Amino acid sequence: MVAVRRDMKAITAKLRGRLVPLTVITIVLALLPITGIPRVWILYLFLFFIYLAMANMWNLLAGYSGLIFLGPAAFIGLGGYTMTIMTWLDIPYYVGIIAGAIVAALFAMLISIPVFRLKGIYFAIGTLVVPEVLRYVFMLWKPVGGPLDGLGRGYPVHGIIDVSRVEVYWLGLAVAIGSILVVGYILRSKLGMGLAAIRDNDSTAESSGINVFNLKLYSFVIAAFVTGLAGTIFYIYQGAIEPRSAFSVQWLVTIMLATVIGGEGTEEGPIVGTIVVVLLYFLLARYAEISLIIQGVILVGIMLLAPEGIVGSIKKTRAYRHLTQLASRH
Amino acid sequence: MTLLADLATPVVMGILLGGLYAVIALGLSLVFGVVKEINIAHGDLVILGGYFGYVAMTMLGIDPIMSLVIGIPILFGIGFAIQKYLLNRAFRISMDATLIIAFGISIILESTYQLVWTPMSRGLTTPYALDSISVGPVHVPLVYLLDFIAAIVVMLFLHEFLRRTYLGRAIRAAAQDRKAAHLMGINTDQVYAFTLGISAAFAAIAGVFLGLTFSFTPVSGMAFLIIALGVIVLGGLGSIVGTFVGAIVFGVVQTVSGHFFGVAAQMLAAYTMVLVVLAVIPRGIFGSR
Repeated sequence: MVAVRRDMKAITAKLRGRLVPLTVITIVLALLPITGIPRVWILYLFLFFIYLAMANMWNLLAGYSGLIFLGPAAFIGLGGYTMTIMTWLDIPYYVGIIAGAIVAALFAMLISIPVFRLKGIYFAIGTLVVPEVLRYVFMLWKPVGGPLDGLGRGYPVHGIIDVSRVEVYWLGLAVAIGSILVVGYILRSKLGMGLAAIRDNDSTAESSGINVFNLKLYSFVIAAFVTGLAGTIFYIYQGAIEPRSAFSVQWLVTIMLATVIGGEGTEEGPIVGTIVVVLLYFLLARYAEISLIIQGVILVGIMLLAPEGIVGSIKKTRAYRHLTQLASRH
Repeated sequence: MTLLADLATPVVMGILLGGLYAVIALGLSLVFGVVKEINIAHGDLVILGGYFGYVAMTMLGIDPIMSLVIGIPILFGIGFAIQKYLLNRAFRISMDATLIIAFGISIILESTYQLVWTPMSRGLTTPYALDSISVGPVHVPLVYLLDFIAAIVVMLFLHEFLRRTYLGRAIRAAAQDRKAAHLMGINTDQVYAFTLGISAAFAAIAGVFLGLTFSFTPVSGMAFLIIALGVIVLGGLGSIVGTFVGAIVFGVVQTVSGHFFGVAAQMLAAYTMVLVVLAVIPRGIFGSR
C-alpha cells in the first residue's frame, strides 16, 4: 500500500507541470455553456471532447502499445447499446454509462483471446472484423421493443428528455479530461515504462522479465473502458442508436485521422489532431459530398510528408529543442 | 436422406460462391504474401472493377465479361501507380504508415464513387444473369458457376505466372527475402508495383463477377474487403492454395448456416467461425510456421 502511494506521489510530481494549465482550461470549458455561446459551438466542443477521449485511447494502443487496433467502433457501439437497452429497462442513464463502459472492457477481455494471438499487421486485420461481426449481431438481435423497433432499425434512448444538452456537454468534458489524465498517469507509471520497452523491442522486453501479454492486455482493457464511456455519452447526446452507424468504419476514420494528424505516439498529438479534425468537420459541413475526399487526401498527405504528425514534427525542429534545453536548466 | 438432399444445393452454392470470394481475396493475398502489406483499398478496387463493367454495359453496350479486355489494363495501371507513388514510399516510413495510407486511399475512392455514380445500388443485369442450371436435385444460378470458373482460371494463371515467367520468379524472390533479391539485382520497388498492378487486375475481374452475382454500392468495398480478409486469415496469410480453400470454407459455412438459420444470420455465422478458427489455429488452415 505504502509503495503504491509513493508511486502515485512520484507520478503526480512528474505530472505537476501539466496539471495547472489543464485545470484552468477545464474550468474555462466547463463555464462556457453558461455564458450563452451559440449552440453550434456547444455541439462542436462536445464532439471535440468525445473524439479526443477516443483518439487518446487509440494513441495509447497504436502509439504506445504497438497495437494497431482497427475496431474502436466495437467498444463505442457496445457501450451505446448497453446504455440504450438499460434505459428501456428503466435503469437511469448514468448507471447505463458506467455499465456501457464495463461491458466494453469485458468485451475487450473476451476478444483478446483470439486477437492477441495475432502480431502486428495480423492483429490489425483481426480487429477490423470485430465491429463487423457485432453489427450483424445487433441487426439480428431485438432486445427491447420501441418505436423504431429492432432488426437493424435501432432504438431511441429512453427517458432522457429531462437531461439537458449542457449536462451532456459536461459529461463529455469529464471523459475528455479524464482520458488525458489516464494517459498521463499510465505513461509515467510502471505500466508505461513497460509499454515503452515493448514498443522499442518486443523480445528484449520479454527477456528482461516484462510480461508483454499482460501489459498489452491492461492497456487494451483500459482503452476499451474509456472508449466505451465516450461512446455511451455520445449516444446520450445523439438520443438514438442503430447498428449501421454504431459499428461504422467512420469512427475509425475520425479517430485515426485525429491521432495521425496530431502525431501518433506523442501525448499532445491527439489534442492537436482532434482540434484540426473538428475544425475540418465544421468547415466542411456545407460540402458533405467532398468532405470525405478531403479527409482522405489529408490522411495520405500527412502520412507521406510528415509521418510524425504536427506535434511530432514540431518536437523535431531545432527551436523546440532549444526551448526544452532552456527549460531544463532552470 | 432428405437432409442430405436439402443440403446439396446450399453446399454446391457455397462452393461456387467461395469461387467469387477466392477471386476477390487472391489479389489481396498476393500483395500480402509479396509486399507484406494489407491493401485496405483492395475492396474498393474491386468495386471500381464493378463500376467499370457497369459503364461498359450501360453506355457502350459491351458484355461486362468482354469489357475486361479494357478493364484489366486500366486497373493494372491504377494499382501500379498506387504502389509506385504512394505505398512504396510509405513502406520506408513504417508498417503503420502503409496501412493508414491504404486506408486513406480507400476513403478517397469510396467518396469519389459516390460523387460519380451516386450512392444508389448497382448491379450488372446481363441477359444470362437470371439463368440457372439444374443437375439432379441441385439448382444453381449460372453466374455462380461463372464465378467458380473465374476463380479456377485466375488461380491457375497466378500459379503458372509465378512459376514460369521472369517477373513471376522475381516476385517470389522479393517475397522470400527483400534484401537478398535486391542484392541479386532485382528492382524490388518495381516488382512491388507490378505485384499491386496484378492484384488490381484481379480486382477488375473480381468486380465484374461480383456485379454479376450481387448488387453493390460505393461503400460495398469495405464489406467485401472484410470478407476477403476473413478468407485469407482462414486459409493462412500469404498462401495461394490456402486462400482458395479458405474462400470455399467461408462460402460453404455462409450458405449452409443461411439454410439453417436464415439469410440474416449467415454472415454472422461465417465471421464467428473465422474468429473461432483464429483462436484455435492462429496461422490458419495452410499457414506456415
